[in-house]
Amino acid sequence: MNRRDFFKKTGLVTAGTVAAPYILPTGRMFARTNVPKAEYVVMVMFAGGVRQQESVLQRYLDDSQEVTGAAGNIMPNLFTGIAPDRKIVYGTDPGGGATRGSEPIPRILSQSMEDTGTVFKEMSAISAGHYVGLNTLITGSLGTAQGLKTRPKYPTIFEYLRKHAGFAALDTWFIANGLGNSTPLLNSSKNADYGLQYGGNMFAAPYTFGGVGREILGNGKPYSRADLDPMYYMKNFLDQSFGLNPDQLETIKNTDEEKTRIKEFIRAVFQRQDQGLIPRPPVTDNGDAVTISYAAEVLRHFKPKFLTLNMSAVDGCHSNFTGYLRSLHRADHSVGWLWNYIQNNIPEMSGKTIMIVAPECGRNLKPNPILDENDWYAFDHSDANAMRVWSVMVGKNVPKMTVGSENNKVGKLTDIVPTIADIFGVYDEVKASPYLDPQSKSLFLRM
Amino acid sequence: MHSSGKITTVLFSAILLLTGCTKEKNVTYGVNDKVVYEDKSLKTKRKSDAEYISILYTNLYQVPISPTQLYKTQNVIYSIGDRNVANEMVLSNYFNTSTLKIPKDSEMRADVAAFVEKCYKRFFLRYPSEGEKTFFINYINSNPNVSVEMVYTAFSVSDEYQYY
Repeated sequence: MNRRDFFKKTGLVTAGTVAAPYILPTGRMFARTNVPKAEYVVMVMFAGGVRQQESVLQRYLDDSQEVTGAAGNIMPNLFTGIAPDRKIVYGTDPGGGATRGSEPIPRILSQSMEDTGTVFKEMSAISAGHYVGLNTLITGSLGTAQGLKTRPKYPTIFEYLRKHAGFAALDTWFIANGLGNSTPLLNSSKNADYGLQYGGNMFAAPYTFGGVGREILGNGKPYSRADLDPMYYMKNFLDQSFGLNPDQLETIKNTDEEKTRIKEFIRAVFQRQDQGLIPRPPVTDNGDAVTISYAAEVLRHFKPKFLTLNMSAVDGCHSNFTGYLRSLHRADHSVGWLWNYIQNNIPEMSGKTIMIVAPECGRNLKPNPILDENDWYAFDHSDANAMRVWSVMVGKNVPKMTVGSENNKVGKLTDIVPTIADIFGVYDEVKASPYLDPQSKSLFLRM
Repeated sequence: MHSSGKITTVLFSAILLLTGCTKEKNVTYGVNDKVVYEDKSLKTKRKSDAEYISILYTNLYQVPISPTQLYKTQNVIYSIGDRNVANEMVLSNYFNTSTLKIPKDSEMRADVAAFVEKCYKRFFLRYPSEGEKTFFINYINSNPNVSVEMVYTAFSVSDEYQYY
């Protein structure tokens, strides 16, 4: 080898050694297309169809039940504003009976998220329904033809992040609030360009960690590494022999090591339940609070780069407006608690996380005829008012800002996926996807 | 002329009677011995969660699963994103019960080749190829810590067991 060949070959080897760790499944050498804004993102799909009037507009009963003088903010952790001082029914129950709901839950955060982050006051939903709305938040696509009992038609944020940012399966989590409405299928599409091999991990927490989950899973043998290695070795031999194609996959894929960690986590949760160690918001009297507790457990244990969770208790608004107000107040309480928990109990994520909160759809302007215990009318979601939503972003590199107003719509729910891609530095990659709403863009670019 | 017509009719009827009925032949068909087994390349349909659980349960306990237990197990499996994790945990719970009908480790060690063949027939409804048989015989023989439970777990959670 002459001197010139030597330098040429050593140069190539050095370049290869440096570049190899960054070659991604996409074939790109480097993942990052812009500077990341934060290391972690938590997205809350809030919370089952929320009217602008009782949430961001803070009108309480004034704009729903033809009551005057009863406006005010019942979401003190998300928004800044004075609470209503009349007809308080959304809180806890200090004395029972006539005083039911009369004591608002104290605010958890020292400053509201509006005071420390960015609020998009008036955004457009893509659908007035839950499942398409959830799909919009998860895929950034205009999937209005999305069916029930089927995986999303278009790639999800989990797949984008795993494929383009090189995230491992354990880096991406979806905490679902139940098995209904096809939510357990939201952790991945079956899209040929992405699909289950890039899907995120998921627990429908109330089932996995509830009584039935405990009965079915709680008596498992805690296999040691020495037990598991031969099992996986033989299983992998059998699987290679069977030769399943990627398009035949029906579940997301974790490595053997990742599967072991998930199983250990499930066992640990059952033990921590026995010891009363599961972190919970101070008020935990509905399903959303339980879901958010297990989201906190997943965050504490795995420190995933991206986690999303959905809440749905406010959907009781179809038949009970008072219950809706209570659920809305509790959803705010739970989200405030989670943000506080991340900052104070997960040092790895504290100061490095962005939380995004957005409803999947709004609710109608006019009520239906169903009256509740207070003779207040209930609301469905099918009209133009149900296409009105907001979002809140808070955390690292998020400016304190208000964008848009009731008469000035800025942004749409399909912006959330590119926003998350932007936060993780893979904006161009994800925006290049043909499945994304072409008019969507990072909310940071709409500020 | 009239009587001759009668005679013709009687004769014709007699001929028909004698030639129209023949004695039935007593035929017995035989069946050649043929071993019937599945071909893994033809397993293209994935078992539903309910099918997978009920087949697995019946396989291991030799009794059918109750509808309530099936429903609960289905829901719990559906509640976990990685179905393999869920299946492995369900299975690990089964192996922690005392009523499983599985061979003892000593029986496996006494005749590994026969055990491997039985495993393939029990789980995959087919015979192993020579390569598959050799792999398992060598692996079990060279790893004294490998138990029936480990082998059964590997088969139960394998991709092929989830297809038919």
